[in-house]
Amino acid sequence: MSRIRALIHKELHQVRRDKRLAISLIVPPTVQILLFGFALDATVSNLRLGVIDWSRTPESRELVSSFTESKSFRLGGYYSSNRDIENAIGRGDLDAGIIVPYEFAREIHRGRPIDVQVLLNASNANTATIAQGYAEGLIASYNQQLAASGVHAAVRVVGPAPLPSRGIINSVTAFLYNPGLVNSWFIVTGTFGVLLILNGSLVASTAMIKERERGTVEQLLMTPASTTDIVVAKITPLFLLLMVMVLLAVGVMRLGFDVPVRGNMLLVILSAALCVLCGIGMGTFLATFTKSAQQAQLTAFFINPPLATLSGSMTPVEAMPSWMQPVTWLNPIRHFGIITRAVLLKGSGIDVLWPHFLALMGFTLVMLSLSIWRFRKQLG
Amino acid sequence: MRRILSQARKELTQLFRDRLALALALLLPLILLFLLSTAISLTVHNMPLVIQDLDDSAVSRRLADAFRASLSFHVVSWPTDQPPEKALTSNAARGVLIFPKNLGRDLARGHSPQVQLLVDATDSNTARIVQGYVNQITRAFNQSSGAMASSALVTAQMRLWYNPGRDSPRFYSPGIFVMGISMFPALLAALAMAKEGEQKTILQVYVSSISAHEFLLGKILAFMFIAFCEWVLGMIALFTVFGQHLAGDPTPLIVGTALYAFCVASFGTWVGVGIPNQSAAIQAVALGSFLLVFLLSGLIFPIENIPAGLRWVSNIVWGRYYIEIVRDALLQGGGWPARWFSVLMIAVIGTFFYFMAWLRMRRMQVSA
Repeated sequence: MSRIRALIHKELHQVRRDKRLAISLIVPPTVQILLFGFALDATVSNLRLGVIDWSRTPESRELVSSFTESKSFRLGGYYSSNRDIENAIGRGDLDAGIIVPYEFAREIHRGRPIDVQVLLNASNANTATIAQGYAEGLIASYNQQLAASGVHAAVRVVGPAPLPSRGIINSVTAFLYNPGLVNSWFIVTGTFGVLLILNGSLVASTAMIKERERGTVEQLLMTPASTTDIVVAKITPLFLLLMVMVLLAVGVMRLGFDVPVRGNMLLVILSAALCVLCGIGMGTFLATFTKSAQQAQLTAFFINPPLATLSGSMTPVEAMPSWMQPVTWLNPIRHFGIITRAVLLKGSGIDVLWPHFLALMGFTLVMLSLSIWRFRKQLG
Repeated sequence: MRRILSQARKELTQLFRDRLALALALLLPLILLFLLSTAISLTVHNMPLVIQDLDDSAVSRRLADAFRASLSFHVVSWPTDQPPEKALTSNAARGVLIFPKNLGRDLARGHSPQVQLLVDATDSNTARIVQGYVNQITRAFNQSSGAMASSALVTAQMRLWYNPGRDSPRFYSPGIFVMGISMFPALLAALAMAKEGEQKTILQVYVSSISAHEFLLGKILAFMFIAFCEWVLGMIALFTVFGQHLAGDPTPLIVGTALYAFCVASFGTWVGVGIPNQSAAIQAVALGSFLLVFLLSGLIFPIENIPAGLRWVSNIVWGRYYIEIVRDALLQGGGWPARWFSVLMIAVIGTFFYFMAWLRMRRMQVSA
């Protein structure tokens, strides 16, 4: 035990003198969380709407203004021909268009159904899906307004005998946990996990490779310490440093983005610790396969993108093709993301999150033992 | 000219001998294209939904069936004695729909009952989509039961242009394709250049009769060639696997591609000249090409949503302009009138990178 303590002491000294390591553990994560949180926002709002109003009546203007006065659309200009609006959408000057037909007001007053055409640039599927929902909602509320104000009530009496009117079902939505629909809460909590794993693995592989490049590993091996001792001693200071980064990231999330803490913060810290260890294990494992720091960095280009994208941290897993969704369970970031979001935003406890903790623990154990095994094999 | 070509040939020979570099150059962009384009999407489907039917009448069961039948949701069962929020905190469902007691009776009496939807808004975008789906289904239900016909005078005829199936890969794959082209030729160029500095072979260049222009152009030409190879491979993948096709005039794409290849190769070379250390050069390129192009180019998330203080940066992100060009060529077909500015900006930014690299080279050559 005293042997390990001495080794840890040595590593701590080494790390403490390495100012660049400390800086690289503090600056990039902070910047990344801030950048990702601010820049990645999927909110669909202020779509530029081009208008062709053939009707030019108070009714049609009311319909158009119910669009442009909503937060979702803003007026992109009036057009006088279908061709112009078509070109404007093609050029990217407009995101959407609405065409109100000539007989709009007349038909409404006669109580007859009438179509308006809504054009959407659907190249971005997400924008199109959400904008379509908005547009349909706006038209529906316009219809309700019409019904309420009784525009055609008088007309209806003249028409065929009114059916016994049936009520309609309305759905009322309550957005739980994030009623303001702050998009950054999702992104920031996701980025957190990606940072832990990727930085953990980067720091660990750099530290391991440095020791090997300098040839100091052999000296360590000549001491009576066992390989496990050496690896544990190497990992401890990195782990401590990365935990400082965890606290820092939590601070940025709290102060910079107002992410609430509704559950037990300890659960988040605990899962973050597991994640960090898992990342360190991955880095150590990777380091045993590569010859130089730069080779390790390049290899990371093959590993990091799938790890980051197949985690549900930036984009919802439910949007992936169904054959791909089960694969994400093999990703520690996925479990960590679920835990963080559930604890911070929903206030869930260990009673529902234990399977994810178990999974994280499993990954960590596997990665650490794999790295110790490879390390031993390589030096044995 | 001959010197430029032989410099380029030397560079390519060196590259083809390094297997890791070759994989980075040709294999990784393709892998990324396939992986990210299939994985990245924001339009969720088949969301787990809990329905608590407190009415249990014929109408409410029909409404529940409407949700069961939709592709947007799959209904998971949830014990009625458990609080419905529990389904959300335990991640069993992303939404809970509660049908009130007497839903059927109220409907028959001509009242308009309300069903409540609780959405897990942890992910605000998904929450909005779920809300939209639920509204669509209830509206369709109202219409099919004949209730809406009397009240709904105005119907919206939706026309979804350019991507009527709202197919996410069709939108994202051109962006991912651009990200690959932005990153790897630049990365390799920076590595090659930094290696010259690290191993001091650059000194041999200084004492040779080759001029800074010839040397740089030779390097850039080699990595432009790599970019073209990636481009061809990527385009083949886009056309075959992702079902893209040219939507209009391809000339902006062709001119833009030539300029963009020059732009990324110059960027990499400039980084390599400026930072004669391979590890640091990798980080610089990753920051410049990956982070900027990924975050600030409208690749996944619209540029308009970036706060204004940060948004101006996207005006100088070269990948942004090329994404616009590729998307236009494959989806919208706006041609030159739509995209001349993007092509111009790529040319300007590329020239700037080249000029900076040249400035640095020239100075070193004099001082050496």
